[in-house]
Amino acid sequence: MLEFDGLYKAYDSNQVLEGVSFTVAPGQMFGFCGSNGAGKTTTMRIAMGLARADAGEVRWTGRPVDEVVRRRIGYMPEERGLYPKMKVGEQLAYFARLHGLDARAAGRAAEHWAERLGLGERRNDRVEKLSLGNQQRVQLAAALVSEPDVLILDEPFSGLDPVGVDSLAEALLEQCRRGVPVVFSSHQLDLVERLCDAVGILARGKIVASGTVDELRSAAAGRQLRVVVPDASVGWAAAVPGVRVVSEQRGDTVLELAPGADDQQVLAAALATGRVAHFAWREPTLVELFRHAVTDTREVAA
Amino acid sequence: MTAPASTDIKPHSPTQLVRLVAGREISTRIRDKGFLVSSAVLIVLIIGLMLFQVLLGGGESTSRIGLVGGDRAVEQVLQQQGDALGTEVTVVELADEAAARTAVAEEDVDAALLDPTGSRPELLVQSAGGSTEDLVRSALAALSVADQLTEAGVQLEPAPAVDVVALEADEADRTQATVVALLGVGLLYFLFILFGQFVAQGVVEEKSSRVVELLLATMRPWQLLAGKIIGLGALGLLQTAVIAVVGVAGALAFDVIDLPGQLIGTVLNVLAWFVIGYAFYAAVFAVAASLVSRQEDLGSVLTPTTILLVVGFIVAIQAAQDPGSTLATVTSYVPGLSPMVMPVRQAAGEAAWWEVGLAVLLMVLAIAVIVRIGGRIYSGALLRTGGRLKLREALAAEKA
Repeated sequence: MLEFDGLYKAYDSNQVLEGVSFTVAPGQMFGFCGSNGAGKTTTMRIAMGLARADAGEVRWTGRPVDEVVRRRIGYMPEERGLYPKMKVGEQLAYFARLHGLDARAAGRAAEHWAERLGLGERRNDRVEKLSLGNQQRVQLAAALVSEPDVLILDEPFSGLDPVGVDSLAEALLEQCRRGVPVVFSSHQLDLVERLCDAVGILARGKIVASGTVDELRSAAAGRQLRVVVPDASVGWAAAVPGVRVVSEQRGDTVLELAPGADDQQVLAAALATGRVAHFAWREPTLVELFRHAVTDTREVAA
Repeated sequence: MTAPASTDIKPHSPTQLVRLVAGREISTRIRDKGFLVSSAVLIVLIIGLMLFQVLLGGGESTSRIGLVGGDRAVEQVLQQQGDALGTEVTVVELADEAAARTAVAEEDVDAALLDPTGSRPELLVQSAGGSTEDLVRSALAALSVADQLTEAGVQLEPAPAVDVVALEADEADRTQATVVALLGVGLLYFLFILFGQFVAQGVVEEKSSRVVELLLATMRPWQLLAGKIIGLGALGLLQTAVIAVVGVAGALAFDVIDLPGQLIGTVLNVLAWFVIGYAFYAAVFAVAASLVSRQEDLGSVLTPTTILLVVGFIVAIQAAQDPGSTLATVTSYVPGLSPMVMPVRQAAGEAAWWEVGLAVLLMVLAIAVIVRIGGRIYSGALLRTGGRLKLREALAAEKA
């Protein structure tokens, strides 16, 4: 288990983290979400020893993460960092060696990962000559090249084209299948929803929601029903008891039902207007859950 | 789910990490065009300097004089006169005036002397002026005086030999050694700046490209700092040694210097001071560089140290002229200045062994202090990007 336990961090008077705790199981893909400045990067930097927590600690297999453990962590910083004038292959081999591989194994690993991430032909190019997207791949390869036990990636998908996103996602899923816990932060919530077994939403220095996407959905207050009734006049559902109209656009209606409200009553009202093209419970997207979670805490904090 | 097998991967010891960093510095720098060009320029410069010395007539000069008529006595007196003037004279017998004219015209001889024992001796030269004329005139004058004295019946006593007693036993050798030391110090000055710049640029490169975050996830700041300084230092020492070998070999081959033993001693001494001085300046440059995040800002933080280097070099030049002066004596103990002043004083024979020992000790102490405090500044500053950090901020960041 990779455990983040009660992390606190303040920069001068600015309290960034106020007790961030979450757990990532081996083989789990954990999506780390939060608004800009919520403290995602600070949390990851604390895990990598690049910032010191005021309180709390990060543990791997029950042991506080120290330098020895860190050499087994693959890390991708938010601000990308590579030697601009070093060749791709040499650079990857160097990072592999820093993580403890011997020269020959490092050379093989560098070759393997360059090939794997579609950089085979650019192995002898200097990093500064590559496009941003390709530099991003090199950065990821640098995190993976030492066959790490844990992966911590800060915004690994930003700046990648859809093909790049797919090959990166595939590489990460493969690491999960090896049993590696993967934590990555992202603003692309659809991607998080698609890839992750678990999600943590960070707002105002705390984890305000965490669990599988399904768990988050069931925890979300209020159930929404989408009904499409092309022939209905505006305000057709307003009279049904316990129903609040969230949106209504040319018959495409989203309704929020209070606990105890009867969905069959809504269906009857819909049928009364004429043809019903669509009638289904609506699964809130992660985007909506995220907005909800983030606004909630703002209200509490206010 | 099983954790991935990682039994074949062993974490490195600190020494291994330092060695890895040093290895990268060397392999990157040794292929760097700027480095290769500057090395080549230095070597060409040194060889050129020695050639210049040779052309300037630093060695023995020679003169070939053609002789028409005359006897052994003339030949001898010409050669004796040559010895006195530091010119090796070769005398060539020529048949007649026509042969002499041809020989001079074809530059087979520098001058041709006709009828030396007659009443009107003539000297044929390409163009008037030059040392050969004086040589021949004095030789003939000496010959004539001797002849006249002999005719007058005066018996010449051999002149008494003069015993030379030098108060300063080996003044000339000392001067030569001082010149070599000064050249060496000039080289040190150049290399301190060159390699100090390399270290500083490397630190800023890692900071500005943010690669330092990846590095610090696997090692401590001091390991990174040590690896960088040791790697570039090894390269610097290698370069200094190559230059020293080329310089010594060239000096011997071109016959610029007479005393190989003394020369080699001075060169080895300069090499030793390179190691100590480099450690000092590299550490200072690295720490200063860690305060900025962009190559453009490097100049402002390096200036104070560069000024120290310039001062050291100027004092060294002054010390070469007057090695016993108070300024030279005092500055040869000051850490940072001593690597440039002390070698000159040593070469001039002005420094006792305990003085050298004291200067080295002070320098080592200074290095220890810089590595200790500088290491903290470096650790604090590495992860703080943005503008230029103040020393106090960096020290505070290290504790946070």
